[in-house]
Amino acid sequence: MAQAATAAGQATRSAADGERLPRKSVYDFVVVGGGPNGLGAAAYLSKWGFSVCMLEARPELGGGVENYEPVPGYSCDAHASFFYGGAAPAMDQLELGRYGFRLSLNSAGVSITPGGKFVSHNSASESSAQADPVAFMESLGAAPDDAKFYIEFMTNVQGRLQEFLRSIYWTPPYDHRWRVPKEELPETKIFKEIVPIWDDAFLDMSYWEFVDYMGLPDPVKCGSLIGAWGNGPHPYYKGMLIPAFGVGQLMSASNNSAPVGGMHSLAHALARCSLAHGARIFVNAPVTEVIVRDGRAVGVRVDDDSTLEEKTIWANKGVIFNNHVKNLPKLATSGAFTPDFVQRVDDLSLKGGSLWAANMLVSELPRFTVAPELNGPGKELTVMTLNMDTPMLTELMRDVQSFRTHPTELDHYGGLWFVNHGAHDDTRVRGGDGYVLYFNLQVPAPEDHRDGPEAVNRARDEIVDNVKTVMRSYAPNMTDDKYLGVWVNSPYDSSIRNMAFVGGQWMGMRESEDEWGKNKPLPELARYRTPVEGLYLCHQTSHPGGLCLIAVPYNLMHILQEDYPEMAATTPDWWYPSPWHITDEEGGTK
Amino acid sequence: MSYSEYHTYFPQESETDVVVVGAGPNGLIAAAYLTAAGLDVTVVERRYEIGGGLATEEILFPHHYANTHASYHYMVDYMPPITDFDLPGTGFRYHKPFGQVGGVFGDDYVYLGSALEDSRDYLARFGVDQADTFGNLATRFRKIVDGILAPATYLPPDAPVDLSIALGRTEIGEDMLHLSEQSALEIIDEYELRDSVKATLLYTACQWGISPRESGMGFLVPLLVDRGMQKAFIFGGSHRLASALARVILRQGGMIVDNAEVVQIETDGGRASGVLLEDGQRIHARKAVMSSLDPKSTFLRLLPAEAVPADVREASENWTWDKWSLLSVFYATKGKPTWRSNPDNGMIGLPDPFLTIFGFDGKDDVVSFLETIETGEIPKVAGHFTCETAFDKALSQRPGEHVSFFEMPAPYDFPWDEKGDTVAEEITSLLDANFEGFRDSILQVVVETPRTVEQRLPNMVRGSLKHGDYNPLQMGNLRPNPECSSSRTPVPGLYLCGASTFPGGMIIGGPGYIAAHMVCEDAPAKFPYEYPQHVQRYLDTYFPEGKS
Repeated sequence: MAQAATAAGQATRSAADGERLPRKSVYDFVVVGGGPNGLGAAAYLSKWGFSVCMLEARPELGGGVENYEPVPGYSCDAHASFFYGGAAPAMDQLELGRYGFRLSLNSAGVSITPGGKFVSHNSASESSAQADPVAFMESLGAAPDDAKFYIEFMTNVQGRLQEFLRSIYWTPPYDHRWRVPKEELPETKIFKEIVPIWDDAFLDMSYWEFVDYMGLPDPVKCGSLIGAWGNGPHPYYKGMLIPAFGVGQLMSASNNSAPVGGMHSLAHALARCSLAHGARIFVNAPVTEVIVRDGRAVGVRVDDDSTLEEKTIWANKGVIFNNHVKNLPKLATSGAFTPDFVQRVDDLSLKGGSLWAANMLVSELPRFTVAPELNGPGKELTVMTLNMDTPMLTELMRDVQSFRTHPTELDHYGGLWFVNHGAHDDTRVRGGDGYVLYFNLQVPAPEDHRDGPEAVNRARDEIVDNVKTVMRSYAPNMTDDKYLGVWVNSPYDSSIRNMAFVGGQWMGMRESEDEWGKNKPLPELARYRTPVEGLYLCHQTSHPGGLCLIAVPYNLMHILQEDYPEMAATTPDWWYPSPWHITDEEGGTK
Repeated sequence: MSYSEYHTYFPQESETDVVVVGAGPNGLIAAAYLTAAGLDVTVVERRYEIGGGLATEEILFPHHYANTHASYHYMVDYMPPITDFDLPGTGFRYHKPFGQVGGVFGDDYVYLGSALEDSRDYLARFGVDQADTFGNLATRFRKIVDGILAPATYLPPDAPVDLSIALGRTEIGEDMLHLSEQSALEIIDEYELRDSVKATLLYTACQWGISPRESGMGFLVPLLVDRGMQKAFIFGGSHRLASALARVILRQGGMIVDNAEVVQIETDGGRASGVLLEDGQRIHARKAVMSSLDPKSTFLRLLPAEAVPADVREASENWTWDKWSLLSVFYATKGKPTWRSNPDNGMIGLPDPFLTIFGFDGKDDVVSFLETIETGEIPKVAGHFTCETAFDKALSQRPGEHVSFFEMPAPYDFPWDEKGDTVAEEITSLLDANFEGFRDSILQVVVETPRTVEQRLPNMVRGSLKHGDYNPLQMGNLRPNPECSSSRTPVPGLYLCGASTFPGGMIIGGPGYIAAHMVCEDAPAKFPYEYPQHVQRYLDTYFPEGKS
């Protein structure tokens, strides 16, 4: 298991005779922020052979990939809960498995409609889409012929899953100036080959329209819509069909799994890979300034209260900014950006739903009256969704997106889903007495809420009660006394706990045509470069957005190789680029 | 298509030189030294976070972190890894607050600082004689700690006979031997000190699990009292020591795996050959398996019965857990708790002591309280308090909001489910009686009982903070038993390196450091650092011909 460090690592080992390591304040790259994208950048760059210093403001690494243990013996997620990065090149390029990262495959799950229909997911059911598609569709009240398109589509996707996903997420966006038409994008080209029948109308369709086109009935339809809304583009955003569909497929690349021990183990694996290759990582070390001189990022200034000996850390090559794009003008040296740029960044919208996350410790699991066969010891379910009904989901969407409030009426709690990670991962439930159910509910981003940023926090008890009431309507055994504790991380809480969750937006920003690919977060920033030389974006506010895909850093590595031609001489054998990458030179904008 | 078809998992079989079971402070320290010595090391940890008792977690969720176990660091002046490794280079920093121990007994307020003369100044309020007497006590204890107890922490234990001969070489050595026979109460009662001062010293000596009247434990008194006035906190929380060591381990080529419980220590022809993890992965150890777990876990649960000699088995079965554990109540408050003013005590304006004792009437009350706790009952709420954020701002993410805890010795065998909340409520009342507007300032409360200590860290059976009782039958070269107290065990290739091995628990790093020496000797590999100067001086003074 010995990890032979690269040359950079060798030079910085503790010498056996007690020699002190020299005060280090100069590195090749400085990474501002230790979230999954910052960690990914630190891992890639240090493994490539660069000296890297990563600075994280919070007491613990990981950003949104975090776990906490408010109740003894239970490792709870505070944000992301499932691993979407199964198709990521980083898995083999960074050998994350070697650094302890493992996946725990889900047990069965269930979706239940208000009318009492239910759909089982994953391995548990015999009537799942893959095993017997015709029976599956019939059980949902759909005529088999209607479902033919869907079934064929799903089968085709499975055959080219990794390729399809990498074409969307793990490829640097094309420069908007190249004017590549949408049908020429890699994701569209592959989609055309996968979809049973291509229609040009797909280019402008929303996912919602596509789901209707496929004739998917509830609850599958509702599941598709809520999956897109919670994890990617809003299902009614025009022209976002492929990413909205892609988001739902990301998880199937890793068999719908969650990391063993919780999401935070991803942060540990990335950090350990970085450290093993000589990176220096500091926590409780907020960066107060990204130092820009003559249009170039030359280093950072760290808060005086941090315990670093050197408060100014210089970057010979570049500064990688793993923080929300809106914090970029605030942290950079005053005057680094022109006023129009600052205004454009300021104007970026933080609207869209964000997730209210509640971990609830319960003394027994829900016993669903609709499907007694799902209940009982040995049949613990992983993901459960209630009110799996498109009209109810629509009301929730209107509440959040249009009326800009959290749901107050019970029949607006459409697509209420929760997870019991203990069902498939023993490490999540060490020495505990009950079960933890982790709920995610869409609510407005704090600054978009019509009653103010703290409205959802004020309504905490009411929302918790509503959730419990909905639960009880499907599982009457879940009376109030069964709940032993509730811990909520609202979007507002997130924004305080982590400065990069600006406006409490879990995804950084929403994903619509205006904020995707070549436009994300702004056209001139889409390829991770900023107006300041040597300063790069590496956060979920860049393409392809959130979900801890380790995609932003991978994509960024392509761009860095263009900007730092010396990297060509040290290209390691584990590196491979996206087959669809187009360099600036090839695109004509070098 | 499955994940495994695309990518490499954590390997199902792997090989290393040394497997360390448990990433608590001792396991991490052992791994840090062994990787520096050039060995391949893999540390395997059950929890999702490394550190064991070095835990700083957001239990006051959201926004507030607390040190959920170790908050006070006694041995920063002596622990070899702090000077041997470039821990400051990882951002690791600590500080000893000016005010160390406060004791409120009736109208008396005892204030002990990290500087002896500050303690003496403040004790002179009670009479110059008090200052003088305390000075004698403190300097006596300091000499014993500095000259004997601290260095002995980082060397293997001696048989009582050998220790007698060695210590007999000096006056302080003789003093130490004499003192070892006594109980904590006897040692303190020898001094003409005010009752409140004695109460402060007695609680300081006994709070972590020493019975005040138990003979044969006296040697811990100078250690706990002297070091109790030299406690440090770690900036950013106790966990930073663990993560600092982890950075050292990884830079030096080691590996750490978490969410990985060891379910078996494997043997090959009677020799410890590796570990089996809960998910079926195997890690083969070419040279050593080091266990930082308690003896029952190591010898009765993880090893196959045929690999364990009968006397080790019996000793493990007879292993006794800690006399008591802790009840800790954590508070997030708006504003820093401030004492209700008491203009008569002349102590207004002094920096808060790191730890303040209250709830007791005096020395006898401390004795009877602890003895009652030992029987499994809680006579009343009394213990110690620290406002963590008064020292380390990093624990609270909201300016102006503070994190505090009240801890008290508490029995494991108490009906916590029924009565825990009542006890916690009494603690809140006690705090409200002492701090201005405390109850109204509370934002959040988390109660951690001995049972939850065990749930968070299953190794701390019955909430045993030290992995096993401190009593004469389980200390020194008997910890955990005569054959295993120097880390090597009768099972070839198996070493012990946890708090249940000499010298014991708390964050001292002795077991890990000693174990690393032993593994290096046997590997063989050159131990990467010389002994610290205090250890070398002890060896030269007491074991000039070498230790056995």
